[in-house]
Amino acid sequence: MTGVGANADGGIAHGAMLVRFATAVLGDAAAELTAARTAIVEAMGGAALTDTAAVAALFNAIDRVADSTGIPLEEKKADVTADFRAALGIDAFAAATEKGSGA
Amino acid sequence: MTEISYRDLPWPVRDDITAAQARTWEKLAQPSTWLIGAERIAIAAEARQAQDCRLCRERKDALSPEMVQGEHDHLGQLSALEVEQIHRIRTDPGRLSRAWFQGLAAKGMIEERYVDTVGVIANVVAVDTFTKGLGLDPWPLPVAQPGEPSRHRPAATRKLAWVHTLAPQDAIGTVDEDLYAGRPTAAHIYQAMSLVPAAVKDFFDLVTNQYIPPQAMMDFDNEYRAINHAQIELVAGRVSALNQCVY
Repeated sequence: MTGVGANADGGIAHGAMLVRFATAVLGDAAAELTAARTAIVEAMGGAALTDTAAVAALFNAIDRVADSTGIPLEEKKADVTADFRAALGIDAFAAATEKGSGA
Repeated sequence: MTEISYRDLPWPVRDDITAAQARTWEKLAQPSTWLIGAERIAIAAEARQAQDCRLCRERKDALSPEMVQGEHDHLGQLSALEVEQIHRIRTDPGRLSRAWFQGLAAKGMIEERYVDTVGVIANVVAVDTFTKGLGLDPWPLPVAQPGEPSRHRPAATRKLAWVHTLAPQDAIGTVDEDLYAGRPTAAHIYQAMSLVPAAVKDFFDLVTNQYIPPQAMMDFDNEYRAINHAQIELVAGRVSALNQCVY
């Protein structure tokens, strides 16, 4: 399923389902997390669920490493991603001024 | 001793994930570079406690966290300074600022212990979020093991971040050369906790196994997980966006 709107996959197989899970695992709604988990298992299988949970969990942690140490984005990465960072609203994040470009 | 095992789950968990988390839990209980085992367990427990802290909830809802003052709901095992560090990193990382960090330093925060503490928080968040995702209770924290911190400080003279960092070229020829495997460059995120090399190694054990190994990141001709590269990065990007992580 691809397309636009709240349920769009963004051109990635099962994208909406994965985004739903990533959102739910950071949230407080247990029923929504259960539903998101079930959806992945039914559509993609149990191994996909556990690998998805592993990635979501790891990034929930590594974000804290980046943000608590104040590590800046590499200049090269900042340069090549400038357009879509602006388009996605990342430049509006609270820490964008301090950490958004190279050291 | 807590045994981390996902054998009874209806879905398969890769053995390398289970093994990496087991190593993490074992090391969590042991003295590290700047913390004794009991401090590491107290930090881990406080990181969990932060999710139920009323002050943290009010700050999270405020336009600026600095607008809300008060006392954290804490477990009483750590200093107020340490509690503030742990709670803010756990509950509102996207709005941490250099001014906040410098405020902690002005009140006596020790930079090396700060970085070591970041490592503990990161490890616990990585494991706890995984169990939450699978509908499991968090693993019981391990029992602290005796021993003294090594207090090894590398030749970290550069401030790539708010904290001192060990530049890859400065590690060459030192006891910390293995941190970068002799390479002259490294991603900034890998250097972030390099003031405490052991913290980097411990956390990137989880990175390699819960995410993908470094050599697999740009290998788009092969897939290494049950979800493909694009799906992995979509999940990672969504989580980071929700955390308002610029990096």
